[in-house]
Amino acid sequence: MNCRSTRESLGAYLDGELPVEACAALEAHLAGCSTCAVELDSLRALARSLEQPPTKGVPAELWDRIERGLQSSTPIAASSRRGAVFSRRFALAASVLIAVGLGGWAIWSFNGGASVANAATVDFSVLLDALPHDAVGAFEKFLSKYQARLVSPAEARNAAKQLDFEIPDVLPGGFRLEKAYTMRFGDEAGAAASYSRYGEFLGAIFHRPVHREEFGSHKDYDCVIGKHRGHAVAVGDWKLVHVTDATTCHCVLSKLNEQSKLSAVLSAVAPRSSESSPPNGHSDLHESSNHGG
Amino acid sequence: MTESEIIRGCKRGDRASQRELYVQTSERIFRLLVKMTRNQDTAIDLAQETYLRAFDRISQFNGDSSIATWLYRIAVNEALQFQRRKGMLPLPPDHDSSAASAASEGDRTAMRMDVNSALQEMEATDRAILILRYQEGLDYRQIAEILDCPAGTVASRLNRARDRLRHALSGSYGTEEEMTRTEHLRDVG
Repeated sequence: MNCRSTRESLGAYLDGELPVEACAALEAHLAGCSTCAVELDSLRALARSLEQPPTKGVPAELWDRIERGLQSSTPIAASSRRGAVFSRRFALAASVLIAVGLGGWAIWSFNGGASVANAATVDFSVLLDALPHDAVGAFEKFLSKYQARLVSPAEARNAAKQLDFEIPDVLPGGFRLEKAYTMRFGDEAGAAASYSRYGEFLGAIFHRPVHREEFGSHKDYDCVIGKHRGHAVAVGDWKLVHVTDATTCHCVLSKLNEQSKLSAVLSAVAPRSSESSPPNGHSDLHESSNHGG
Repeated sequence: MTESEIIRGCKRGDRASQRELYVQTSERIFRLLVKMTRNQDTAIDLAQETYLRAFDRISQFNGDSSIATWLYRIAVNEALQFQRRKGMLPLPPDHDSSAASAASEGDRTAMRMDVNSALQEMEATDRAILILRYQEGLDYRQIAEILDCPAGTVASRLNRARDRLRHALSGSYGTEEEMTRTEHLRDVG
């Protein structure tokens, strides 16, 4: 065994992973090579320096959070279980806001096969208020508020069958799917997805057209993006764009604009939004707070 | 409960079995996530996601590895994804900038602090493999299962991670690590 092969094997030897027969050859080399012996001592010192004092124990709240996630799951199939993901930072706020959200929904009515909320609100202010500095955190706050559960894209579509949307694996511009979610807007299912492109975030939210959308102190404005008519709220570099068809409000949060694939992204997630969208981009029932268009 | 009873119970969605699995593994999983993220709040969030994902996917567990190794794998993936999304984590708030001078006197505590700093500056997968081997005490087979790589590559990946750690440390101490040079090497049969 020469110095080069010895050096390559010293780590495994130190870790007790070198085969017995190789150990004998290595030890024989070490007996006659002080340089490699010093290298072994150096590796041993490095390993000792990596040892850590004991960390704090597991926080008692961790199991409580996991159990809440398990309890809030609704089996899609009898043999499967899904869990909700709540961030520790948002758990208290979510428990309050969910109660408010549930109280804001009226009884669904049915009209010729189309389900419409008579009086219902989706509150985007919790998302918008956290922009522009932490778009991922802002999106997660919104997900937490509306009981998001991590699922596959197929499960998201299956859970919100009354909606018309797509969650492609890759969006125009190279945004790759990271996670898909089901959501609950009162008694109605919705969906969401998060995408990323070299660290740049893009979020998509799908819900039933509602009577009212809340934007807090932020103003929305009507817009036309390619063939899509809708309305948008801008906070810094971020835009939350809504395009609505007969069954679904599609919301895209991104830094994209008309020149950078936004229209193509909207077409990818809302394939029929331009076919049946109202002239002003809103549903017949819709009104928004702080409408500035 | 035996491990197989726990797994069967978890596959049925039995809460007592889920709790038992958590009791038996949470200390290791949480400790690993604290070491990988250096942030207790983040580790709690990731631990929650780890267990929820594990209970969701438990039907896919086929017993090729131990359940603990399987959980490690989910936890490491969660941490790596988090770090990819968030970028490099900052140094812990208790980082002591005087550690470098103390280390020149051979102070082992200061060296450990500098090692932690150097670990945080490393690429996430290098950091993960060093933590799994030297702080979690896992063997090469377990590490290969967790990182989903061939067992034969674990030794070379560890060699590379150790070299990169020493390179990072040599900058902290202001000394030159000579061992990457080859003049001293000689062929001895």
